[in-house]
Amino acid sequence: MLSCWWRPLVLGLAAAAFCADATLAQTTEERIKLCGACHGEDGNSRMPNIPSLAGQPEFFLVHQLILFREGVRKVAGMNELLKGLKDDDLIALAKHFTALTPKPSEEQADPALVKRGEALIEPMRCVSCHLPSLDGQEQMPRLAKQRIDYLIHALKQFRDNARSGADTLMSAVVIGVSDDDLAALAHYAASR
Amino acid sequence: MMIPRPATGTCAAAALAIGLAAAMVPQPAAAQAPPGMSAIDKSNPAASKQDTNLRPHPTPPTVTPLDKLPIDKLRLPAGFKAEVWSHGHPGARTMVRGDKGTIFMGTRLIGRVYAITEKDGKREVKVIVQGLTQPNGLAFKDGSLYVFAIHRVFRYDNIEDKLDNPGTPVELTDKFNLPPEIHHNWKYVAFGPDGKLYVQVGANCNICEINPGIHGQIRRYNADGSGMEIVARGVRNTVGFDWHPQTGELWFTDHGRDWAGNDGPEDELNVIAKGNEGAFFGFPYCHANGVPDPDIRIPNACAGVTLPAATTGPHAAGLGIKFYTGSMFPKEYQNVAFIARRGSWNREQKFGYDVITARTDGAKATLTPFMTGLLDEKANEFHGRPTYLFQMADGSLLVSDEQNGAIYRITYSGK
Repeated sequence: MLSCWWRPLVLGLAAAAFCADATLAQTTEERIKLCGACHGEDGNSRMPNIPSLAGQPEFFLVHQLILFREGVRKVAGMNELLKGLKDDDLIALAKHFTALTPKPSEEQADPALVKRGEALIEPMRCVSCHLPSLDGQEQMPRLAKQRIDYLIHALKQFRDNARSGADTLMSAVVIGVSDDDLAALAHYAASR
Repeated sequence: MMIPRPATGTCAAAALAIGLAAAMVPQPAAAQAPPGMSAIDKSNPAASKQDTNLRPHPTPPTVTPLDKLPIDKLRLPAGFKAEVWSHGHPGARTMVRGDKGTIFMGTRLIGRVYAITEKDGKREVKVIVQGLTQPNGLAFKDGSLYVFAIHRVFRYDNIEDKLDNPGTPVELTDKFNLPPEIHHNWKYVAFGPDGKLYVQVGANCNICEINPGIHGQIRRYNADGSGMEIVARGVRNTVGFDWHPQTGELWFTDHGRDWAGNDGPEDELNVIAKGNEGAFFGFPYCHANGVPDPDIRIPNACAGVTLPAATTGPHAAGLGIKFYTGSMFPKEYQNVAFIARRGSWNREQKFGYDVITARTDGAKATLTPFMTGLLDEKANEFHGRPTYLFQMADGSLLVSDEQNGAIYRITYSGK
């Protein structure tokens, strides 16, 4: 059985893609290592477009892991890795990453975009769900200290109806929002 | 089985992941707000004066154990009893019955369709389809199960003969040509007495100017997706309807908008009276029993609007509606509608989380509580969320509880 890691450069961005036989990771510890290879050993991702998991709400992580396993949320690598895992396996992974401490990524937030993002937060009601701290709660993810590039990617997916299994309220919130405003929201949120 | 997935083999998965990564590269600013799409939500946070921390309640994607189900909390009128009929199917929502007795169940976030069969007085639960986006819309006709997942439509022929391996469905997505926007577009569908398939298309926002040619409608189609007609317009989001057993008129629940206050505008129970097909029900300008929208103002907002038969409570989230025609319940329940209210999120004091009855009289209705006990008003907490109703052949009534992934069966013995 092969377990291969590819880190190809695609248009200057490192993208992590893998073909791993998930059955090689039999225990929660082994699975955590596999997750950490992309999402960071400490749950803080250093890879462009790969989200940090440290300090995410447990419910959020369990929910998303189940959606990946079921093939509702479609990200090929994730779907393959989680196939066949039991709810309890996923809950164990979620508990591990929830307990880790979130740290800001190496990306530089643009102060002008941060300011612009701050002005958008109230009219767009971000904090109703994600909390004033943007730490997230229950099914809603932490945005604070998330990677900027991942936030931009995710927001565009919501807006462009390109994220299968997405929360529908989130899609409604960002309908018609410009790329620049999405970037501003991402820079602000990541800097919290 | 899984519905068409992007990858099967592990290395195909890797190749696809690279494709996805390429798609992540920031693109230059493109044209915004595709034509026909609503602009951003028009609600006014400051004016609504509601607790800004109100938010939708999470729905557990995991199994609620049998001993944690709130069956002991359910309260019913004298002579009625509730029991757990089936459980262990997270996200329990819509129910339809196959000709051979299978209960099929649709869900939202968890993306599954379940089949529940009876064997020796016990229920067996199978996941027959997974990986769909919000397959809430189910209908059954001539041996085929129709599954509506937002805009994707599948038909599983002879499904009850192959529950263990449903095989590849006939895809009817192009025939129905439903809009792909996901918000308020998890479907409710049902075959009407005219043999047409009725399909909801919700407003793709909380409150906004929708494209009335696309959103905020109830449509009907031939079963193959041809012959589309619009039977109701200006409907924010109905996710339940049924036909009156005597008049044949279509009655539907409809959710009121959020962020316009704790007390309203209230949800609606509407009827499309004979000769009023295609009527306009007011969204986004006029809500509930003639309440002009506070954020999208036009002159004479309620002129020409068909007002509801009854308002069904603030943020109560009335979903499934079923006219009772069975022989088990007392006579006074004949042709009375049962309505499941999933319960509020956009309200400081929680409301709903129950089943009510609606006694109809022409184009009006009177509401009475029926199944209560899931809302603890004092603690402002809920223990379950009733979503849909189904009448069994013996006249008992099934109630699905999405929060706990269970079905309760209500019987009447008079004792």
